[in-house]
Amino acid sequence: MVTRIECIFFSEFHPTLGPKITYQVPEEYISRELFDTVQVYIITKPELQNKLITVTAMEKKLIGCPVCIEHKKYRRNALLFNLGLVCDAKTDTCALEPIVKKLSGYLTTLELESGFISNEESKQKLLPIMSTLLDELNATGACTLPIDDSNTIHLKLIPLRKDPQIVQEYDVPVFAQCKEHFIKSQWDLTTQQILPYIDGFRHIQKISAEADVELNLVRIAVQNLLYYGVVTLVSIFQYSNVYCTTPKVQSLIDDKSIQEECLNYVSKQGHKRASLRDVFQLYCGLSPGTTVRDLCSRYSQQLQRVDERRLIQFGLMKSLIRRLQKYPMKVIRDERSRPPRLYTGCHSYDEICCKTGISYQELDERLENDPNIVICWK
Amino acid sequence: LHKTSPISVILVSSGSRGNKLLFRYPFQKVSESPSSLTAKQRNPYALNTTVDTLEDQDGDSRFSDIILATILATKSDMCGKKFELKIDNVRFVGHPTLLQHSPIMQVSKTDPSPKRELPTMILFNVVFALRANADPSVISCMHNLSRRIAIALQHEEHRCQYLTREAKLMLSVQDEITTMTDNGSPKSPFRQILPKCKLARDLKVAYDSLCTTGVVRLHINNWLEVSFCLPHKIHRIGGNYFPPEALEQSLKAIRPYHALLLLESEKALLSQLPLDCSPAMVRLIKTCSAVKNLQQLAQDADLALLQIFQIAAHLVYWGKAIIIYPLCENNVYMLSPHANICIYSSLAEEFSQQFPGNNLPCMLAKFSLPVSLAEFRNPLETPAQEAQLIQMVVWMLQHRLLIQLHTYVCLLVPPSEDEPGMKDEELPLAARVGSRSLSTPSALSFGSPTSSDDMTLTSPSMDNSSAELQPGGDSPLNKRMTETLLTSLSEYERQVILNIPAAQNPEDLRMFARLLHYFRGHHHLEEIMYNENMRRSQLKTLFDKFRSVLVVTNHEDPIISIFQSPME
Repeated sequence: MVTRIECIFFSEFHPTLGPKITYQVPEEYISRELFDTVQVYIITKPELQNKLITVTAMEKKLIGCPVCIEHKKYRRNALLFNLGLVCDAKTDTCALEPIVKKLSGYLTTLELESGFISNEESKQKLLPIMSTLLDELNATGACTLPIDDSNTIHLKLIPLRKDPQIVQEYDVPVFAQCKEHFIKSQWDLTTQQILPYIDGFRHIQKISAEADVELNLVRIAVQNLLYYGVVTLVSIFQYSNVYCTTPKVQSLIDDKSIQEECLNYVSKQGHKRASLRDVFQLYCGLSPGTTVRDLCSRYSQQLQRVDERRLIQFGLMKSLIRRLQKYPMKVIRDERSRPPRLYTGCHSYDEICCKTGISYQELDERLENDPNIVICWK
Repeated sequence: LHKTSPISVILVSSGSRGNKLLFRYPFQKVSESPSSLTAKQRNPYALNTTVDTLEDQDGDSRFSDIILATILATKSDMCGKKFELKIDNVRFVGHPTLLQHSPIMQVSKTDPSPKRELPTMILFNVVFALRANADPSVISCMHNLSRRIAIALQHEEHRCQYLTREAKLMLSVQDEITTMTDNGSPKSPFRQILPKCKLARDLKVAYDSLCTTGVVRLHINNWLEVSFCLPHKIHRIGGNYFPPEALEQSLKAIRPYHALLLLESEKALLSQLPLDCSPAMVRLIKTCSAVKNLQQLAQDADLALLQIFQIAAHLVYWGKAIIIYPLCENNVYMLSPHANICIYSSLAEEFSQQFPGNNLPCMLAKFSLPVSLAEFRNPLETPAQEAQLIQMVVWMLQHRLLIQLHTYVCLLVPPSEDEPGMKDEELPLAARVGSRSLSTPSALSFGSPTSSDDMTLTSPSMDNSSAELQPGGDSPLNKRMTETLLTSLSEYERQVILNIPAAQNPEDLRMFARLLHYFRGHHHLEEIMYNENMRRSQLKTLFDKFRSVLVVTNHEDPIISIFQSPME
């Protein structure tokens, strides 16, 4: 989402004229009316100083941080000012807040060090500074501007993303984009260390063991990659897994770009590209009660040009299919025995196997014939 | 959960006595008032960190009454519009409203006697303080509530100066308390206002309701009703709520063959309705059933289909009902991926109470694989037991434990080995006929009231419905129609289809051609049955005959899947 800054203004409390806008870029953007309505939020009472204030009025959003510097040298014993931004009322301005706060900090420092604002001559430098800020922030989202010999402004618009889901030990990270585009050196050491082990098949616990990195560190590193959209999470692949289609599977038919991406991704290396029909039939062949093994034997003809592991991987990444997990529940138990810890319906086979180290088959053997256990798939 | 609850509710006014904070709830924790800060010894070497260290998660107790009055009682040109102000991590939202005064209140200019100043209120603002990271749809809803309360207050003010009287009461209590605290410890004046002021109590009720149930019901001045619901609190599955926009989109797409499933008993629901509610709503609730589709409901309740859609949407919005496909033998159900199947959940308890002797986990295990209602029922059981099984399925649907699977069909012709290049370029049929309008009118198409009357009794007609094609084999008219219908296919596709053994039978080919536009994966079997007046067995046989060019899959209906799976 584009956060466009419409105007940058510098407002201060003039000793005789009161609150006014000293400079604004572009000129005349904030009308007299608008300023009158919102000035109480721009040059504020002491209680609101140093707070990030965003006010919406007359189809505009103004974001500012009022500053007050007290000193006997000022007329009225205090300098009050506010360097703020103006956007359209519908804009999401969260990403601009750190910038406004930083700017108020910079100006405060400049004033304390060299009287940058109270000196009429140096104050005029503000106008070209504001102009450059406006242009560069809108163009590239970043701005580096030297102000004087000892001060440089560094600003960057950082878009906020949604919180990532919690990464579990049995989750499998897979690169959402081509791995080659990934610039290793830009990331932290932990991430660099686990990178070679992210192949879309190793789950977190395995990566931790093989890369020799502590489990929680791997989880956090992957969660970080998840936040930036570098990886998505899928589940562990086994031939005994069961999947089923979601309504999104139809997008393979409707959306040409997903089609292309899919056929390129799932086609076996060194073979002719798989046909849409084969791939779609394979996805539609996945249903409750059918394992991947069953699929392979039933659709062997379609699988001639398709790598089934990558087929499943792509299907999960794009939510064309979903995994059906088994959840054991202990329903009949002795009054005296301990309450079930893992067999509660909240923990899947994947999770139980990961936590206890038992293999899937072993767990199955234990539970399938236990009359006290009921198993649900979902 | 906390993200959708307000931090506090505040009432301010602006008038001849200046800006005043009339009431706020919850009461400010007095020990944290800003004045206590300045009393601390200021270390000249310490950084000026202001109040950051005292910042508590519940935002607004840092704001004094006076500053709130200044910033929330806006200038008059901000009135009549949404008011939104964000300060650090608190967001204030309201709807400042101007009051027009009746001539009686104005002091006469010709009166020479010393004027007794009648304090006049110019504007007021009911403000909700929220956490700054609240969802935009939550902010929008809160603004809506603020506006509704404002409308009611404006009305009552005009009628009998209600607001002025309540404000006067509130201010006088505040004045009393401030004179008292000169001697003793500061007390919150707002606590004293509550027992004396109905409006204060109403605001407290609004706040408490928003934090708990999400359903607000007030009677301003014991007269005007203000009702409101926060969908984010009402529509929850597990820890997730339905965004209202997704809900609205779903409601616009429901069809006459869908059904309305009430989430509470008829009796409970009727008792919650206000006395002056519409009789149509009452009729609908009484006639509604899980086995009846909306069209049948319209007939039985003697209401227009448009009305049914509207009332149904209303009930869904208020969390009193969901949309399902009507229950019938052939419905196939499976466990919802979001079903809460924990043995310790309250659902298991409730189920055992509702159906003694039955165990929820065991019942849920039966739906691990898709099972039809017919399979689920055991013909050897007594009718009473059978009925109970149906009740259990209804219960599970109400508690979002089951999803229904439908069959979807897509036309995909096997590519020819000879011309691979051409195949890759062409879009499959589905994408090509994408622009063709859907056959069943959806709720959206019932926009104008006049059209609804035509729809009450007859099945919706569509361009190429079966009524138009004459029966009887090879008539030239039929042949030409079949040809026309097949023109949307490429030459290659047509050839492949015509070479299928089943295509040699003109009846079958005609049926196939007629249904062609459904074969793009967006219309399930039941919809085709409903539109075309066909039996399930007919369709299934057709699919089988043409299976070499059709791909079939089963999944939930995306239009109504939001009710079972909010995380789409």
